[in-house]
Amino acid sequence: MRKLLLGTALSLITLSAASADVVTVVTSFPQDLTGPFKAAFEEAYPEHQLEVVNRNTNAAVAFLQETQGSNTTDIFWASAPDAFEVLKSQNLLAKVDIAAEGIPDSIGSYPINDPDGFYYGFAASGYGIMYNTRYVDANELPIAQEWEDLMGAEYNGHVAMSSPSRSGTTHLTVETLLQGDGWEDGWAKWKWISGNMNTVTERSFGVPDAVNSGSAGFGIVIDFFGLASKASGFPVELVYPSVTAIVPANIGIVENAPSPAGAKDFVEFVLSPQGQEVLLNPAIMRLPVNPEAYANAPEGFPNPFDEDFAPGAIIFDVDKSGARYNLVNSLFDVMITYRLDELRQAVSAVQRAEAAHADSSNEEAHALIAEARALIEALPITEEQSLDPAYADVFQVARKSADTEVVGRQAEVEQEWDSFTVDNYRRARELAEQAASL
Amino acid sequence: MSATNSASSRALRFTLFPRLSGAAVVGILIAILLMAFLVLPVAQVIYVAFLDARSGTLTLQNFQDFFNTTLFQQSFINSFYVSAMSVVVATIIALPLAYITTRFNFAGTALIQSLGFIPLIMPPFVGAVAMSLLFGRNGTVNLLLNQYFGFRIPFMEGLNGVILVQSIHYFPFILINLSAALRNIDRSMEEAAQNLGASGLRLFRRIVFPLAMPGYLAGAALVFIKVFDDLGTPLLLNVNTMLAPQAYLRITGVGINDPMGYVISFILVAFSVFSLWASFLFMRGKDYATTQKGGGGLSKRQLSRREKILAYLVIFLILALVLSPHFGLVLLAFGTIWSFSPLPDGFTLQHFQTVFTESTQYIYNTLLYAGSAAVLDVLIGSAIAYIVIRTGLPGRKWLDYMATAALAVPGVVLGIGYLRMFHGIQLPFGMGPMASWWGIIIIALMIRRLPYALRSCMAALQQLSLALEEAAENLGASKSRTIRRIVVPLMAGGILAGFVTSFATAAVELSATIMLVSRASEAPLAYGIYLYMQSPAGRGAGAALGILAVVIVALGTYLSHRIIERERDRTVIPASGQ
Amino acid sequence: MTQTAYRENNMKRETAGIRIEDLYLSFGRTKVLAGIDMEIEPGEFFAFLGPSGSGKSTLLRAIAGFGPRPKGRILIGDREVVDLPPWKRNVGMVFQSYALWPHMSVRDNVAFGLQERRLPKREIDTKVEAALELVGLLDLAERMPSQLSGGQQQRVALARTIAIEPQVLLLDEPLSNLDAALRVQMRRELLSLQRKLQLTTIFVTHDQEEANTTADRMAVLDGGVIQQVGPPQELYDHPANAFVAGFLGTANILDGQLQEDAFLTKGGHRLPITRALPEAKRIVLRPQNIALTDQPAEGLIRGRIRHREFLGSQIRYLVETADGTIIVDRLHEPDGLDYPAGSDVSLRVDSRNAPLLP
Repeated sequence: MRKLLLGTALSLITLSAASADVVTVVTSFPQDLTGPFKAAFEEAYPEHQLEVVNRNTNAAVAFLQETQGSNTTDIFWASAPDAFEVLKSQNLLAKVDIAAEGIPDSIGSYPINDPDGFYYGFAASGYGIMYNTRYVDANELPIAQEWEDLMGAEYNGHVAMSSPSRSGTTHLTVETLLQGDGWEDGWAKWKWISGNMNTVTERSFGVPDAVNSGSAGFGIVIDFFGLASKASGFPVELVYPSVTAIVPANIGIVENAPSPAGAKDFVEFVLSPQGQEVLLNPAIMRLPVNPEAYANAPEGFPNPFDEDFAPGAIIFDVDKSGARYNLVNSLFDVMITYRLDELRQAVSAVQRAEAAHADSSNEEAHALIAEARALIEALPITEEQSLDPAYADVFQVARKSADTEVVGRQAEVEQEWDSFTVDNYRRARELAEQAASL
Repeated sequence: MSATNSASSRALRFTLFPRLSGAAVVGILIAILLMAFLVLPVAQVIYVAFLDARSGTLTLQNFQDFFNTTLFQQSFINSFYVSAMSVVVATIIALPLAYITTRFNFAGTALIQSLGFIPLIMPPFVGAVAMSLLFGRNGTVNLLLNQYFGFRIPFMEGLNGVILVQSIHYFPFILINLSAALRNIDRSMEEAAQNLGASGLRLFRRIVFPLAMPGYLAGAALVFIKVFDDLGTPLLLNVNTMLAPQAYLRITGVGINDPMGYVISFILVAFSVFSLWASFLFMRGKDYATTQKGGGGLSKRQLSRREKILAYLVIFLILALVLSPHFGLVLLAFGTIWSFSPLPDGFTLQHFQTVFTESTQYIYNTLLYAGSAAVLDVLIGSAIAYIVIRTGLPGRKWLDYMATAALAVPGVVLGIGYLRMFHGIQLPFGMGPMASWWGIIIIALMIRRLPYALRSCMAALQQLSLALEEAAENLGASKSRTIRRIVVPLMAGGILAGFVTSFATAAVELSATIMLVSRASEAPLAYGIYLYMQSPAGRGAGAALGILAVVIVALGTYLSHRIIERERDRTVIPASGQ
Repeated sequence: MTQTAYRENNMKRETAGIRIEDLYLSFGRTKVLAGIDMEIEPGEFFAFLGPSGSGKSTLLRAIAGFGPRPKGRILIGDREVVDLPPWKRNVGMVFQSYALWPHMSVRDNVAFGLQERRLPKREIDTKVEAALELVGLLDLAERMPSQLSGGQQQRVALARTIAIEPQVLLLDEPLSNLDAALRVQMRRELLSLQRKLQLTTIFVTHDQEEANTTADRMAVLDGGVIQQVGPPQELYDHPANAFVAGFLGTANILDGQLQEDAFLTKGGHRLPITRALPEAKRIVLRPQNIALTDQPAEGLIRGRIRHREFLGSQIRYLVETADGTIIVDRLHEPDGLDYPAGSDVSLRVDSRNAPLLP
């Protein structure tokens, strides 16, 4: 054992001495994505060697924060724009001029790059509904094409998604609906969809996993999960609803990078036409941000620059999204993730009551159902409050302005919302049950 | 004269180093180690619990918020309920296995004990996927049930699912400790009861089980604390209204700095230490050194043919249940596509080929890391056990509490603590920052698995009669030679069990290591599985890597059991008069 | 006395004899007991005596139902017990290690067997107290076993066994863990208890003095075979073979042959005898039946003292003779006759009643 340890120690010392020009990348991307890029990059730039360290986004951010003092990472490479925002706000990203031609400023209304130039979008992903064909056939379910479809009683127990607080891309989807349909209607939609959920996963990959194994029929997922699953042979399909969020996946150079030249080379490579084509690899299946790359795309590969893609796309207000980022996450968790059982019971009760009175003209029952629906949809705060710094800053430790008066501590606020929500769900269920028994 | 000379020099030495015996020196070193690699890093993270999120001043407000929050109250109750039920279910699983294999002459005892250990080696992610493919709402069992009988059983729904998975995962802790305790009960204890008219279940309930209580309780406490603090299983089953997942979700959310996560972490650690202390209190004065090792242990009875068939049936059913996740893992590793069907669509060796061409370094790293960590664990574990049980050093119990508290420290908290504390420390020879040095992974694994080794060593030493040591000292052996020649050999079984437990569980540990891995070439197996499991195409390969992990650890376990059995056969002296 | 009270209340006990017929037992390939045949009378205090490895404990455990199933028959009273499990035999056994359960108080230990018999609680209490009183430990009833001395533990073990009113009492080396003084006291107590209870008792020991002082009859075992059965004194005076002779007390066994009314030793000494055993090849001379003198005379055995031991009441001499070393014990009196090692002496042997062996 001692020999083994010594041998390893020696080989490590020689290793670190020999590899002077290593570009270290911390990423949440799977090997399926990083592998081809590493190979292509090292071929194009033989003087560089790419060292890929995989961490999930949360761990990666924590790692960069904790190692700030003696940084060993050159590049942060991940999907979630919010993670980049956090790093940017803590001065952990470097502003580097990157030469990249042919990449537009935005896809639809979603900006591709950070306007301040701290990070760059290198691939786009849309959000879609992924479904398991065997599951759908066995349960004789119609294919949901739009988000609204998933609100139907027939999908009760068949849907999965991840929590916006765990996945930046899910967050954008949630926010997209809130902006597209408005605060009240957007949340109502999410609640009715969530009432049909069999699970809210903690990892974003938990959703495709659930659909792939057939434990859920439909999953709200970022498109490449669905596309890559299908490419791996799973009996799954992906549809893009007409309102979809286009989410750029990003790359940024870490402040005080040990190998800045190599880092710049890698970012430029990823954004070059050569690098963009790597994205078309069937195991990766992400949408290039360079429109020219689609020339070589296989038949049927979605093109977000196409006019037909997501025709109902909205104008996405980045500032609004940023202002209430954590608040929306917290509200979603309090009302949906942590109270999924209560929500499901209430929604199921309403669905049963509606089914029982679908053809009846029992005024009293319909009134009770309407009241129950209103209770489920009720929100503890208004849109104005959600944008009020006094609320939003409750969820921020490093506040933008130190003198903002906030309405309370996070735990306090969440407890208020929680009792409001739980109480409403309970009453909604009682009313619905009452209506059903009429 | 020489005699006076040596006497005076002895007296001199005595005053120069007053009472600083070898045990005291070792105790102090261990205390320093635990402070540096457990207490301080964790304190660095957890002290946030005592800060006002806004002003950064010290406050207890956060704790008040914790107790005022309905969600947390419910989470606490859920965690407690799940832990208690897991102990019950784990006991139901472990008891027949332990009893049958220790109490009867039974072919394949070593094999059964080893198989009963395997559930502890549940590779991250793939285990949960395999379980849901077998027992989930649309898993094998429920698909078949639904097809033929038109109903489903909600094995995996909500808290039930957590209890099922946790009991299957952690029951080996009870099995191992209970088996060891049962083996160490003197035969005459049982015979005296039979002679007075007790038999069967009553004999077991009134005599055998109470005597095995220290071992059982050690295992049960471990299961309780582990389940209470475990976040992986609830999260993978998407149950988040429990304390540990709540802590995790609140600590690791990007950009959020909710102090409640740290408050919960603090409460987890405190509650675990409290449970442990309560179990100590309960066991006080029940330290039954009933056997002078070599005095026999339980006599093994021959079974009649009918009893044998029944026993094999019971064992088969239990093993089928507890090994089902691994059976699912095998299907996953050899299967092509497995989706909404009782079995995979086809079978292939492709995944293993992928693993062998891409990922052999993980195996080497895992053996190195988990092996070194486990060796350190049993060394430190037996030292602590000896100091706590056999010496009167002041504060010795705190070594135990401190080491055991590691059970309750979420891996991610330890990982962040290490980054915070050790990243600024540069190692010599250009090895870079200490926190990204591969050795820190070994230390993290060692700290996290120390409680397992410690409990085994404690149980082994507790059942060792003091007279055996006194005999050696009486024959002129010094303290240290007594430990080396008498205590350690007689504890060998327990030490080996501790080694195996630490090694096996360290081999599939991910939560702390994922923060500390700085190069793929230095990553352990679990990290490799994690990489594969991030993409749809990697599911089979991840499972294949998981199978490799299980096979490696299982082989090690089986070998250790053979060694234990052989050791027993060698050291058992037949009772006189036979 | 309360002991009498106990006896009066509980004398309904049915004690039973034991018959063992043609019993064979082996551990795997090792034969441990071979052809055991014996009968123990009801109420008898019986001892199994033998060196370690002689099979005496195994035989006792076979009667209690422990260990591998033997071939042959064991009858307790009229009941064939070989196929009964231990808990159905109603024989009480006191273990060498006492086997007190450390997790139960003295009272609970004693009550255990009664509880197993599903007796009413009040009856159990009465019997437990009676049994504890019988062994004089009533005031320690609430103690845990670890708080008791060795002798007290022994008594608890005894009380625990007696409380169930067994048909037969088995004692497996019950005194071996006690110190010498306590051992003598306990063995008297055991005997008087046995006499009071009139309980068939088997006592396993390797100590001939323990067996001699307590047993009505005893069986000497060696190599899994019964060498001889009978009252201690008879075995001592008329051993059936050299093993018995040597195991019961000290014996000088001299080879030789019969010659009319005397035994002619190999060393050429003629020892007159009164009883005759045809084909006798050996004679047993007890050390205390040999006198020493420094006056050589006709008919005395000549030798030289090789070693001398002071035993308290006696002095033991090891005398080198033509017939090998002969042990001689002489009563010790203050200022009495004594010979230092190296002295030339003559031995006067009282051989008239000396046992002869084939």
